[in-house]
Amino acid sequence: MHAPYVEFRYSAGMRLTIPVAKVLSALLADPEAPRYGLDLMKLTGLPSGTLYPVLHRLQAAGWLAADWEEVDPVAAGRPARRYYRLTGEGARAARLALAELRALAPDGGTSRGGAEPAGAPAW
Amino acid sequence: MVTRRLAGLLLRAAARRWPAELRADLVREWDAELHVLAGRGERWRMLRFAASLATSRAGAPVLDRAVPHRRLRRTAAVLLLAPPACVAVVVLAAVVMSLAYATLDFRVAWATAVQLPLWSGLTAAAGVLLALLVTRAARRTVRTGPLATALGVVLPVALTVTVVFTAFAGRGEQGLPGTVPGLLLWLALLVSALWGAGLLARRGRTRLAWAVGVLGALVAADAAVVLAVVSAIPSAPAGPVAEGLPPDTVDRVSAPLWLLTCWTDSSLGLPRPTAWERFLITDRVLVEPMFYLACTPYVVAYTVAAARPAPAAEPAPEPVPSPA
Repeated sequence: MHAPYVEFRYSAGMRLTIPVAKVLSALLADPEAPRYGLDLMKLTGLPSGTLYPVLHRLQAAGWLAADWEEVDPVAAGRPARRYYRLTGEGARAARLALAELRALAPDGGTSRGGAEPAGAPAW
Repeated sequence: MVTRRLAGLLLRAAARRWPAELRADLVREWDAELHVLAGRGERWRMLRFAASLATSRAGAPVLDRAVPHRRLRRTAAVLLLAPPACVAVVVLAAVVMSLAYATLDFRVAWATAVQLPLWSGLTAAAGVLLALLVTRAARRTVRTGPLATALGVVLPVALTVTVVFTAFAGRGEQGLPGTVPGLLLWLALLVSALWGAGLLARRGRTRLAWAVGVLGALVAADAAVVLAVVSAIPSAPAGPVAEGLPPDTVDRVSAPLWLLTCWTDSSLGLPRPTAWERFLITDRVLVEPMFYLACTPYVVAYTVAAARPAPAAEPAPEPVPSPA
């Protein structure tokens, strides 16, 4: 864990915290795949109370787009979910930010655990 | 079903912490996720999902998190320090009164007669000064509902009273048990009075709030004194009366005046209570009425100030699009 480097790192107006990096990393694993809240909680291991503020801030920064699922709640038997997807700008900025963070890490970006997608930081 | 409802309540509580324009979408989104969890029968995860949202920081716009914490600390400081300050006020006023009495005793005949009025006057004056300070501090304390404010004001008073009277328990003839019913009645009625004052102040009816608060606090103090006296002093002689002395009884007809009697050592020109009854009353309840007097200005002032709508909106924080 390299919290001192992560907590105060800014990239393109975005303050990168460990939760933010986890979310970006999860989204970058498949930038085209829409993700919903529970999905991202499972991928990142973050609790809902941490995840949703991060999602909101990424949206506010223009890195993330959110769309409601196009589904008939009656036919589907459940309410529509909200899906998140990195914007083009967000995907570029996220890759850059995570690469910068990885370069800043003392161990030079060695991936731990191997679960991260290519270009993901080592946490 | 209960879990779902509980989770729903937590989600709505969580949503209230977010900016108003986002709440509807957030609740819709979280409800959809809850629905999925409910469908899978994952009750514990439902609760964790909702509880985490309800207890974690809300999202942007990012506020200065230090501000609420400062307000909370200031509120705690004001509410916890004010009651001991009231005790200090009573003690300080008693010391000044004693010094004044020692000076006047050999010079004027009315030195004894002004003892209690002097103590009360000094206590009231210092209580008002304390109220001014507290009102000033209340501008930057946490604002909450009228009942919560009333309880927040009265509970530290109760704590202080408990500590002080426990420390002095057993030193008087009555001891702590004889004091407790009156104090409890005072605290209970004070909560009601402050609750009412807070409700009115919240609606912008400040003058009426002050009137209700002050009158309610006086009624509470009067009722507490009456209860303390009635429970300790009979209205008719219960045993043999010492020769040459009036019976140790107090006629209930003057009961509403007993609080003023304790403060002024006077019957206000009325036939009751008699001089002997005044002696019995002030012998039974001496310090409590002074404490009520010291507390009344600040508890009412704080309640009205804290419940009153803010005069102007606080400057909006600059939007910070980055995560905290």
